[in-house]
Amino acid sequence: MKRRVVITECSAITPIGYRKEEIVESLRLGRSGVKPLRDDGLLTNHLHSRVFGTVDYPIAYEFKRQYRKTMGPVAFYACQVAKDVLERSGLPQEFISSGRLGVAFGSTHGSPTVQRQIYKTFFNELESKFSSIGAVDYLRSMVHTTAVNITRMFGITGRVIASSTACTTSSQSIGFGYEMIKYGMQDAMICGGADEYDTTTVAVFDNLLACSVDYNDTPQCTPRPFDTRRDGLVVGEGGGAVLLEDYESAKRRGADILAEVIGFSCNNNGGDLILPNLDGITAALRLALDDAGITPKEVDVISAHATATKMGDVIEAQAIAAVYGDSPMVIGLKSYTGHTMGTCGVIELTLILYMMEQGFIAPTLNLDNVDPRCSMLRHVRELSSGNIGIASIQNFAFGGVNTCLIIRNGREAAA
Amino acid sequence: MTRDELKGNVLSILENDFEFEHPGLDDNLRDDHGFDSIDAIELLGKIEIMLGFSLSREEKEKAMGIRTVNDILDYIEKIQSSHHR
Repeated sequence: MKRRVVITECSAITPIGYRKEEIVESLRLGRSGVKPLRDDGLLTNHLHSRVFGTVDYPIAYEFKRQYRKTMGPVAFYACQVAKDVLERSGLPQEFISSGRLGVAFGSTHGSPTVQRQIYKTFFNELESKFSSIGAVDYLRSMVHTTAVNITRMFGITGRVIASSTACTTSSQSIGFGYEMIKYGMQDAMICGGADEYDTTTVAVFDNLLACSVDYNDTPQCTPRPFDTRRDGLVVGEGGGAVLLEDYESAKRRGADILAEVIGFSCNNNGGDLILPNLDGITAALRLALDDAGITPKEVDVISAHATATKMGDVIEAQAIAAVYGDSPMVIGLKSYTGHTMGTCGVIELTLILYMMEQGFIAPTLNLDNVDPRCSMLRHVRELSSGNIGIASIQNFAFGGVNTCLIIRNGREAAA
Repeated sequence: MTRDELKGNVLSILENDFEFEHPGLDDNLRDDHGFDSIDAIELLGKIEIMLGFSLSREEKEKAMGIRTVNDILDYIEKIQSSHHR
């Protein structure tokens, strides 16, 4: 059994906005969401990098206490975007609780904010006779907190996949959700990821000399994917969700089809856990094309992982060139949002969906002088209008995990 | 603490920390206010802080039969008196 799988809803909380209109405006105006790193009272002053892809606008959450009590900040992002896609879908509660709707959702490491509170309590109150670790602290901080807070809030009884593979977390969620439906195990899946503001993640990359440090006074000028003056990634926060459905069911109920997922790949470099690997990434790109059953020439746009690290961008450019030559347009969307970690796959997919729907292609920001080692690609350097028929979204993670999602424009999928 | 003082403190905890609206002394905690077993554990932590001493495992297990606000007050009074003996 192989079924077609379509995306019928999407929502994202990103450093460049929450609602579609805000995000599209940011993309059209070239507005960055990278801001000065907020002080956490702990690590900030020890870090070299002082920039962050920041969600700094208020979000009107309306969750009842019975749901809030098991949620850390990461689950607030997750449940909000899941609520958006479910409410807009109009799917009846009978279906939502039927066991045929599942959830594939993850985060890099649950809620570090709650974990930090637990350790603060532990270290501050060693002499105390009271136990101050809350009954719900584990539920708020555990690695699958996003997925199961979503199931709890909406009464979802289907499969649960809680991937947690750093930067490929949400692209894996979408890919695994796609496979669940394609092979008939579920009829619909809510897929995505979230990651909250967290300086420990910045510290990890800072220690590895992988964070941007030269633009602390001009945050909007970094990250700089493929640019000669790029100096590393910028950690960010956010959340995103897509609703995947079996094509026939979506068509029957008259749902808007935003795009069809036509291909997915996930592999591992089989060795080093940090260094980008040309063979592994190249294989991932080819596997996704094979799954989609299309030729490289049919892909119009590539959303590159493009974190703006010195070697990562070069290896990715080499892999794209080896598989695609210079035919597809290449965009590095982290130049707008920073690297939102576990969320980046679903956010970048959502941005591409908006561009597909509205017929424009946003340029890579801060790409003033293309690094000669990356110049063999067709970089998008100016805002342009145009139809995106097929797009590929590439993401690579620590641990050597690579993913690639290929989607076809909803207008063409519905035809 | 007298029963009235306890009542004031417990109602304040239920309203402020558990967002109860207009709690009545004989309301069913679960049916009327959505109070569940996780909340019960959280409430015991608040009671420990209010009383100024830790509850034993046996004392905590006895709290699992509580159904109403009055049950909470009865429970705390018993705990207080056993600790003062």
